[in-house]
Amino acid sequence: MREITYTEAAREALAEQMAIDPSIFVVGEGIGERGGNFNTTLGLYEQYGPMRLRDTPIVERGFVGMCAGAAMTGGRPVVDFMFIDFILDSMGELLNQISKVQYMSSGRIKMPIVLRGCIGIGGAAATHHSGSYYSIFAHIPGLRVALPSTPYDAKGLMKTALTGDDPVLFLEHKLLLNRRGRVPEEAYSIPFGQAAVVRSGSDATVVALTVMLPKALAICEDLAREGIEIEVIDPRTVAPLDIDRILESVHKTGRLLIVDETFGPCGIGAEISALVMENGFDDLDAPIARLNGLHTPTPYSPTLENAVTPDQAAITRAIRDLLAE
Amino acid sequence: MAIEIVMPKLGWTMEEGVLDEWVKNDGEQVQPGDIIFVVESDKALQEIEAFDSGILRIPPDAPPVGSTVKIGELLAYLVQPGEAPPFELKAADEAPATTTPAKPPGTPASEAQPASTKQRRPSRKGGPAASPRAKRIAAELNIDWTTLTGSGRSGRIVERDVRAAAATAQADDEKDLRITPLARRVALDAGLDLDELAARFAGARVTRADVEKLAAERQAVPEDKRSTMTSVRRVTRDRMVESARTTAPVTLSSEVDATELLQLRRKLKADGADIVPTYTDLLAKLVAKALREHPALNAAIAGDEIVLRGAINIAIAVDSERGLLAPVLRNADLLSLLELATASAELVDHARGGALKPEQLGDATFTISNLGMYDIDVFTPVISLPQAAVLGIGRIRPRHVVIDAEAERSAIRHMMTLSLTFDHRLVDGAPAARFLQRVKQYVETPYLWLVN
Repeated sequence: MREITYTEAAREALAEQMAIDPSIFVVGEGIGERGGNFNTTLGLYEQYGPMRLRDTPIVERGFVGMCAGAAMTGGRPVVDFMFIDFILDSMGELLNQISKVQYMSSGRIKMPIVLRGCIGIGGAAATHHSGSYYSIFAHIPGLRVALPSTPYDAKGLMKTALTGDDPVLFLEHKLLLNRRGRVPEEAYSIPFGQAAVVRSGSDATVVALTVMLPKALAICEDLAREGIEIEVIDPRTVAPLDIDRILESVHKTGRLLIVDETFGPCGIGAEISALVMENGFDDLDAPIARLNGLHTPTPYSPTLENAVTPDQAAITRAIRDLLAE
Repeated sequence: MAIEIVMPKLGWTMEEGVLDEWVKNDGEQVQPGDIIFVVESDKALQEIEAFDSGILRIPPDAPPVGSTVKIGELLAYLVQPGEAPPFELKAADEAPATTTPAKPPGTPASEAQPASTKQRRPSRKGGPAASPRAKRIAAELNIDWTTLTGSGRSGRIVERDVRAAAATAQADDEKDLRITPLARRVALDAGLDLDELAARFAGARVTRADVEKLAAERQAVPEDKRSTMTSVRRVTRDRMVESARTTAPVTLSSEVDATELLQLRRKLKADGADIVPTYTDLLAKLVAKALREHPALNAAIAGDEIVLRGAINIAIAVDSERGLLAPVLRNADLLSLLELATASAELVDHARGGALKPEQLGDATFTISNLGMYDIDVFTPVISLPQAAVLGIGRIRPRHVVIDAEAERSAIRHMMTLSLTFDHRLVDGAPAARFLQRVKQYVETPYLWLVN
């Protein structure tokens, strides 16, 4: 099978759907002729022109509000924020309107909008361009939150985002954008709420989110040489969250570590931990462990940036600690 | 900042030492100059002083007393009052990210507490803690988890403990052993063989009382005791084997009349001297003198060379609680009898007290071993390499001996047997015999040593 990058995979899904569904259009800064700051729309302007690849001025609140209206009236907007941090300017529209309209209209009004942007710490992007916020989005009823961590998932999850009726946050970690992976040329979709068991094992379960997945996998391959078999799960979407798959795994292993680059307090790890405690208490052979980045605004200095994110050594230590419990 | 206390290097060749004892206890205040612990290295005991003040904290995983520890290995810390001992913080200091619980929101990042420092609250109820999974599996496998010992961190009973107990129970079934968990523990503690229990109580349920009864029967015969060799024992072992393997030992023995030597010692004693030389001291003095005249016996072997040693350093074999020690009287031939006796008394004292310094051992050129006090007459001492010979001293006892056969005259004399073992690689029988004969002459007429 051919290998393409994560960005190419997501763009392929977008191009496929734009060809099928004329109601899809992309809005954002530099996504027209320029092809997107992260090449998210490269080549599409030439094909579909300025009506469907609409460059905007720097007014997030304005264009998010307009896209919400377009979605309510039959359009299928894709808002491309470059850095997802910029969505913060339109939180009123997102949390108070986009997430609620379907409920308030008893489902008569749909909200098929995709809000995409890159997340995460890396490349000395400093604190205004290093946010992830998915635990905030996952906290709000009515939003779907996709966190693809492989090119294969990027294409399949984008496809699902572009075919549903719900608002979707499509969040792409900036350190994953150029990772290559096998992606089928034919169309396929990955349903939301289906976690992937990326590696199976019996000694402990590690749930790793987005950029932590490749790191954790590499460590688990090393540990396998010592005879330690770790099951690694990628939730792929955190809203909805496939807690059943995680519970099944914990039923097998008895031990759970959640590795997440973002902040610990009130985070996805806390949620998974609470759900496993509520639904799988008798399966637990050790306290659930979480490994998070430090609870601090992201520093600009690359040295400090490395210091606030869980590295290989920290993940290895956390796994060994869990096994020793 | 906690100060590390490590196994010190007490000599150029020292690679490890035995942690003999802690003089200060965990939690005790220590001042500079206080002796904190004692190290046994290559036959000597050294007391180790503190350079700093602080509270001694010994980590739970520190080397236990009696164990052999490499130099530089961590033994304990000195911390300041109020300072947390560093042995739990250590791994966490390096942790760049936190395994939660993350610090509460709003606290500065620098206060983030890495995971391994977190102190879990002890479980509220008394008794062992078991993971929920361990309890569930215990119920499924019909195991009483409350009798198990946990292998999890902080002693928590986890799944593997329950499964191990289940496997043991199954193994018991296979060997037809039915035993209560408590009885099993008592049996294992008492060192009883479970197969034997199974055979003896076939079919019946073995209780604690059964096990204790069997254990009491066994107690009549003491068990073998095993202990790790002390470093003195190990050094002795290695040197004896090396000597037995490489030397060509020959032992000559000769009965000597020690009456004059006995008289000499009595007279010195009667003179009221503070220090009265022992027989060993007198022999050391006389042997030193004889060695000066017979340098072939004061020699060492070095490859294809024979080294006739210039100095006469006589090692005295001393029996101590720690085993055989051989402190050295340096330049014994140059010391006056009083000097020699004073030095020898100090060496023996130090050896028995375990406080010999490395410089009081080593570089001996000849050894004297006295077993007379144990009523030994003749023996074959082992040469201590690289020396050429060793003299064994037997007991002095009164005997009826012939003084003049032709005149049919006999007398009661104080007789003693000297046993000289020499290395035939370096020395032949005749020169060795001549040396022993010279020693005999000196013993029989000890005032000869006054000459020159």
